[in-house]
Amino acid sequence: MSSDDELAERLRAGDERALRTVYERHGAAVLYLAQRLLGNRADAEDVTQLTFVAAWTGRDSFDSERGTLLGWLLGIARRKTIDRLRSAARDTRLSEAVSLQLVPPADREAPERVVDRLVVADEMARLPEEQRRTLQLAFFDDLTHPQIAAVTGLPLGTVKSHIRRGMANLRRRWEVDGAALGSRSASPTRAL
Amino acid sequence: MQHLDPDRLALLALSEEPELGEGDHLAGCPVCRHDVETLRDVATLAADGQDLMDLPPPPEHIWQAIEAGITGTAAPVIALPARRARTWPRWLMPVLAAAAAAVTAVVGTVLVAGVTERPAEQVTARATLAPLTSVPATAGGSVRVLSDGQMQIDVRNLPLTTGFHEVWLIDPDQPTRMVAVGNLSGKPDVALPVPPGTDLNRYRLVDVSDEPHDGDVTHSGRSLLRGTLTS
Repeated sequence: MSSDDELAERLRAGDERALRTVYERHGAAVLYLAQRLLGNRADAEDVTQLTFVAAWTGRDSFDSERGTLLGWLLGIARRKTIDRLRSAARDTRLSEAVSLQLVPPADREAPERVVDRLVVADEMARLPEEQRRTLQLAFFDDLTHPQIAAVTGLPLGTVKSHIRRGMANLRRRWEVDGAALGSRSASPTRAL
Repeated sequence: MQHLDPDRLALLALSEEPELGEGDHLAGCPVCRHDVETLRDVATLAADGQDLMDLPPPPEHIWQAIEAGITGTAAPVIALPARRARTWPRWLMPVLAAAAAAVTAVVGTVLVAGVTERPAEQVTARATLAPLTSVPATAGGSVRVLSDGQMQIDVRNLPLTTGFHEVWLIDPDQPTRMVAVGNLSGKPDVALPVPPGTDLNRYRLVDVSDEPHDGDVTHSGRSLLRGTLTS
């Protein structure tokens, strides 16, 4: 699997296959974010398309020092979604705008929180297998560390260190790419 | 002050029982408390992200739309000089020519040549139209904008409609901004005039839509083909 840096380099060189790889890897997350915020599949697909086209056009602005490709893409997608909601509010002549307004804003999760969930889930998927399995048992199944040790057969000390290291990894990623903690992930994409 | 062990901070964030003295320490130590709270937020985000671990793969038709959107964007968009000349109102041309002639004959000649010269059939921009969602993959087309402002559109295998097919020029950066160019009138090869003054660098996304006969002049939202104009 090629790294973010490698993909970014190929993108900068104008390699469309790199964009395809990025789409395969992160298209689902971008589509999820847009659909979650817009509440409408057709608009979410449009925003996904716009996001990847903007990512292609603005590919020189990606900076791996500031975050991951996913964090960068989600920042663009958030902006495109917000543009969409604003122009829909401005221009109610379009039929799609009417359908947008039918989604009560109260039912929408805050954009920042959706982004945060997506980056944390992405980091979960990147964790070493045993670390991930341990955290899944703790987060999804609510098991205590002695219970996890019993289920997995791992020594108690190993379970504890998996939990500590795994959570430290998630935290670090959240602090780099998360939206709720600040505008860091939004700033490099402001021009798009 | 001796802070809590990192292993313990993680477990406390997962709501495991505090051991002797840990509760007291947390109550008095903002550093450890902050760590536990942050880790607890992370744990909550992870738990609420369970359904995100296996999202379905993104659909192929969105990729096709992305591909259509990026076609040619790698090449710089060049200005369209013939188009710029034509934006001068027609009534102004004799005035300009006369004014120029009054100054010097040479300048007058150059200006008149510059304004009236129209190389026939010179293509100033073109686009390949690709099918969108729910449109048969065999549908497609091509667009050529000529130096005389005519847009030539060839389409094939468009789905049948009870209404009509309309051609739009959309600003991809603000997709609700668009220019109606005209309708296809059921013929495979149609020439439509681009409204004078249209900025093709901005309104560069050609869109063919299915429009019902409902008297509503705005875009129906049902796009069939799209492609980006490049010089």
